[in-house]
Amino acid sequence: MGNNPDSGQTNDQSNDQNSDQAYLPDFCATSSVFIIVLLAEIIAILLTLAGKPAPGEFMIELAKISLFVLWQALLSALVMCSFRNQLESRGKTQAFIVSFAVLLVMSIVLAEAAYQTTKIFGELVIINDTHSGFVLRTVGISSIVIALTMRYLYVSSEWRRSIALEAQARIKALQAVIRPHFLFNSMNTIASLTRSDPRRAEEAVEDLSDLLRANLGGSGDRTSLKAELEVAAIYQRIEKLRLGDRLNVRWDVADLPMRALIPSLVIQPLLENAIYHGIELIPDGGDVDISGKRDGDFLHISISNPVAKGELRAKGGNKMAMTNIQQRFSLVYDSRATVDVDASDDRFTVKLRFPFEEKRA
Amino acid sequence: MKVLIVDDEQPARERLRQLVSDGGQHEVVAEAGNGEQAIALATQHNPDVVLLDIRMPGVDGIETAHHLNAMDTPPAVVFTTAYDEYAIDAFDARAIGYVLKPVRRERLERALEHAARISGQMLNQLTAETNLKSRRQHVCTREQGELRLLPIADISHFIADQKYVTVHHSGGNSLIDDSLKQLEEEFSEAFVRIHRNTLVALQQIDRIEKTEDGKPALILRNGQGDGGDALIISRRHLAEVRRRLKGS
Repeated sequence: MGNNPDSGQTNDQSNDQNSDQAYLPDFCATSSVFIIVLLAEIIAILLTLAGKPAPGEFMIELAKISLFVLWQALLSALVMCSFRNQLESRGKTQAFIVSFAVLLVMSIVLAEAAYQTTKIFGELVIINDTHSGFVLRTVGISSIVIALTMRYLYVSSEWRRSIALEAQARIKALQAVIRPHFLFNSMNTIASLTRSDPRRAEEAVEDLSDLLRANLGGSGDRTSLKAELEVAAIYQRIEKLRLGDRLNVRWDVADLPMRALIPSLVIQPLLENAIYHGIELIPDGGDVDISGKRDGDFLHISISNPVAKGELRAKGGNKMAMTNIQQRFSLVYDSRATVDVDASDDRFTVKLRFPFEEKRA
Repeated sequence: MKVLIVDDEQPARERLRQLVSDGGQHEVVAEAGNGEQAIALATQHNPDVVLLDIRMPGVDGIETAHHLNAMDTPPAVVFTTAYDEYAIDAFDARAIGYVLKPVRRERLERALEHAARISGQMLNQLTAETNLKSRRQHVCTREQGELRLLPIADISHFIADQKYVTVHHSGGNSLIDDSLKQLEEEFSEAFVRIHRNTLVALQQIDRIEKTEDGKPALILRNGQGDGGDALIISRRHLAEVRRRLKGS
């Protein structure tokens, strides 16, 4: 199983999906504040350099400008942090226009306040400029910085959104799909039973519907082991109608905690594989063994099927389903889960090992 | 027409039987659950049409069709299949009769009316194009007019004389219709040509020895070639035989 070195992957993805509509970052988060301070300092250095400080005065100039710029930046963050929810609830364009206006007004107020403050403490000559000159310069610089920041946030939110969509599409694509072979054969079985055994035909239609619903429903989320095994059992019932005595599934899963979480549609496709590549190719059929046990914080589930003589080399389709499941396991668990295949002389076994996790209340 | 139904799934056979008898024009003479049974029943009942499922365990539909085609009066074959992309494409290309599951009554009746006999050549092309088991797992022999399937694994070698090819297997010798050239192409992985008229299963070869007059010959695991009928390796094939023996 491929170990993914990027251990943050799953978390990032779930965040992206949860905050599908969030285009403004969380300005209250420590990491955001840190970046804001960093950006503010960069702007301060830029302004100091542009102001052509007297020799030896650079640090003092920088300190003065930093003081003002940091005030501006941190107050802006505070404003954005407190109004984020209101802003998010509006349309994207509106939110950006409103925040631009609010931040600009705030920056003017702050410039005015700064000017008045230095006037009171007249001794400290911090601002060598006329009143209007200082405020106007602040408005100019602020509007450019705010506009650039807005633009950056907009673009990066679009970018994040497309990444999230891509990830979702990938999970969707990875999701095992019912084989058309199975679907059409089941329909044929139902068509046959409609006359000979309407009662069973009825049940088969119900089972098939449940199975299709399960296949259409989950979007790569995890489900309880109970629900997952139920889907596999329904699938088994349908196949049993078709294959009769040739199919025998032995379940040994009593040891598994049924409330545990498992990526949805893993067991059923593996059972489908076991039947399609194993049982169906053996004239007399055989036993599929599904067993599970708990080992501390990990769960083990194995599915094994007999293999027809000369069929041992896994075929393309089989490998595809396996890769699919491996990729989904690594998306969900990173390297904490393993999917192993054991193809001995006469049996093909898939072994899953994944952490025991429960749904959080 | 007399119809033979072949499908490994009971409900599928049942449905075909219902549909055929609904039409009232044709008669189901037998049902088979696998390829081997199908061949036995076909020789017994001489059906006009065989409705043949493709995906079956053991001898699959395509292989069964090959063997049915070797009968003296081969039945027409209509394949039934749920979903085999490649097979369907191949059928369309060769205009070979097939019906898709779930089977529609009109479609089945049309297929029965049009049931055309499949030539060996068409089948060979079909085998090449379908992504199912492309190689046969059995050869078909005839003993007193009865078809018998001989698993490839039981065969030690084929020997061609003027007219026939004799297959030597664990149960003795039998005559088959295939030519040595065909067999060599089809089973090139498991068999090696050692002489113009001899094809031997690699698995069965024990060693190479010199005969009394100094020619290289094969000794098989079952002891054949030792004594009586030597399996002479011709000079032209010797290098290839050595290479294949080392490789396996």
